[in-house]
Amino acid sequence: MDTPNSPAEPRSGADVTTPPPEERVWRAGRLEAMPIRKLPDAPPSIHILGPTVFLVALGVGMGESYMWPRLVLLFGPEIRWLFLIGVTLQAVVMLEMARYAMATGESIFFGAARVFKPIMWFFFTVAILVYIWPGHLSAGAAALEQLTGIPWTVSACVGLILVGILFSMAKVIYNLLENVLSLLIGLLVVGTSVVAAMVGTWSDVVSTLTGMFNFGYLPAEALTAAWFPILVGSIAFAGPSGMQQMWYTLHLRDSGAGMGAHIPRIRGLRHAGEEEAMPARGFMFDTDDPAEMAKWRGWRRWVTFDALLLFWGITMLVTVSFTVLAQAASRTSPDVKALLQAGEREAALNAMSDSFAAAGGPVLGGVFLGFIALIGLNATLGLFDSFSRGQADMTYHFVPGAKRFRMSHIYAGFLWGVIAFGIIILLFGPADGPGAILDILAFLSTFAMGAYCVVLLLVNNRMLPKPIRPKLVTNLIIGFGAVFYLGMLLYSLFRFGVVVG
Amino acid sequence: MRDRVELAVPGAVVGAVGGLIAGGLSAVVGHPFGWAVTTALAMAVPLGLLGGGYGLLAGSGRFRLGVFAPAALYWLIGFPLARLVAESSTGFLLGGGFTPPADVLGFLAYQGIVSFGWAIGFLWLHERIAPHWLDHVRSRNALAQQWYERYVTHARVLRDASARARRRRGTVVESPAAKSPAAKSPAAK
Repeated sequence: MDTPNSPAEPRSGADVTTPPPEERVWRAGRLEAMPIRKLPDAPPSIHILGPTVFLVALGVGMGESYMWPRLVLLFGPEIRWLFLIGVTLQAVVMLEMARYAMATGESIFFGAARVFKPIMWFFFTVAILVYIWPGHLSAGAAALEQLTGIPWTVSACVGLILVGILFSMAKVIYNLLENVLSLLIGLLVVGTSVVAAMVGTWSDVVSTLTGMFNFGYLPAEALTAAWFPILVGSIAFAGPSGMQQMWYTLHLRDSGAGMGAHIPRIRGLRHAGEEEAMPARGFMFDTDDPAEMAKWRGWRRWVTFDALLLFWGITMLVTVSFTVLAQAASRTSPDVKALLQAGEREAALNAMSDSFAAAGGPVLGGVFLGFIALIGLNATLGLFDSFSRGQADMTYHFVPGAKRFRMSHIYAGFLWGVIAFGIIILLFGPADGPGAILDILAFLSTFAMGAYCVVLLLVNNRMLPKPIRPKLVTNLIIGFGAVFYLGMLLYSLFRFGVVVG
Repeated sequence: MRDRVELAVPGAVVGAVGGLIAGGLSAVVGHPFGWAVTTALAMAVPLGLLGGGYGLLAGSGRFRLGVFAPAALYWLIGFPLARLVAESSTGFLLGGGFTPPADVLGFLAYQGIVSFGWAIGFLWLHERIAPHWLDHVRSRNALAQQWYERYVTHARVLRDASARARRRRGTVVESPAAKSPAAKSPAAK
């Protein structure tokens, strides 16, 4: 199926006050057509730090600080070629998610609904099943407990309530979050660099970097039932995992990138009354106008800089630094390898911290735990906002009657819902979710990544005008992504009977 | 002179913060006060001075606003030197002699690689802090005013674009274009 642009009268200027009788529109799927509007000018310089800060906050987590350093210690630095593929694939996915969001001002969920509504409901359901569990808080809170002695359940519950209050009081949630996360991530990057500079050696970093190009290296032990599922999980968790790339489209829109400038931004609960009414769909720019296409290329340059330097660069930096740290740790404390093999996450984190302390004094042990706590805080802020933002977007647009409420109210409903549920679970239940469904959740999270590659192919190639559709090479890479994620997941399931570790 | 020093403040603060992170956490975990202060000083002073130098170059227009390549090149030289100073002087500060690393060239090469990460973090924080600081001092500092205006020009382009979008939106969102039969897609159901 193709989606022809509607024949219509050209608009006679951008700042008209009444819509012309025959407005030009872009039809995409069966949902309401997108009116043609002007594309804003792209930022004239690349120095504006974009919404990638959210992806970095969400993506730089346990995968980078724990899972990959662990694999390097177990299988050698040569295993890192799989990380290189994983994170590079994610950078391309990010650029493709940005393509749809910047061209239309719609989230990728809306794009999926334009293709086939049940696809969007699939993601709506997966988000609830996977992301309501407060398990991601535990590592950060546990690290904080090691540092300060405050019981982790207390800091986690207090943290949840503070996050809720922070977002409810904010005038514009996006602005607040971008500022807070930028500061935290800036400190994380600067601090990680300093620590890596103090602990690592030339040979550590050389082996870490050269290991990334050892394509095809897979030791026999990695292909066992014990480790292959963990390898699959680590690849999936290289960079943002699960649905985080999809949520990025909402942050991109709220940052005013591309046609997102035409969509009002979500306000905090206290300022909900000031929110403008949300349009029922996004907009499209005139892809037949060379001036508009020049602006579009400017936006693509802007987001590419974001993807390559900030997302790819920072994710790579953090994981290289932590791998260097882990190698330094294993030299001073051989116990760390045994603990990692045993799969005891908290024990292993403490052992790595102790090793750093042995290598460079207690300060380094503290710094390591401080970074884990910081990563936990970043992830908490990012995930709670992203989950609420994504669910609110789908609810507002596709649940009958939801438009009676403001987007801010629906956002606040999901936010406080997930916080209340989180506190109950932290106090009375298993944080990661009931043991019996853990495998299903892990499967769903990784499955969503393969699924969003397929959705991207469908949305970008069928719902966008031809001049701004992806090139063949890009499609092949995204197609490879779908086969890569789903293939490894299903192989793990059928060969070993286990999903991801 | 004072005007120039003020231009250096944001970079100096970010540079010094890098060193102070280590010292601060050292205190949190109960390390002896003297050790924590030594760690912080040995790292914070050279990184702070170099950070201030970056601010002077950026403020005088020699580096374009927030562009990564000049920052990366600057720190490719500066970061390894700062680390060499810190590494060598720690022993001296603790009351012994200077303690340079055994393999100086290997040490500098490694620090050069780490410097790229440092440059990203430094630039990231510097771009967040500098405009606020310049706004604070520009009433009495002509150089700060000039630098601030470069940020304002940049921001104005973005504001204008979003203001235009808001004006247009005023007509679109009120009655969801959906209500206008002409605007409604023939394909919509």
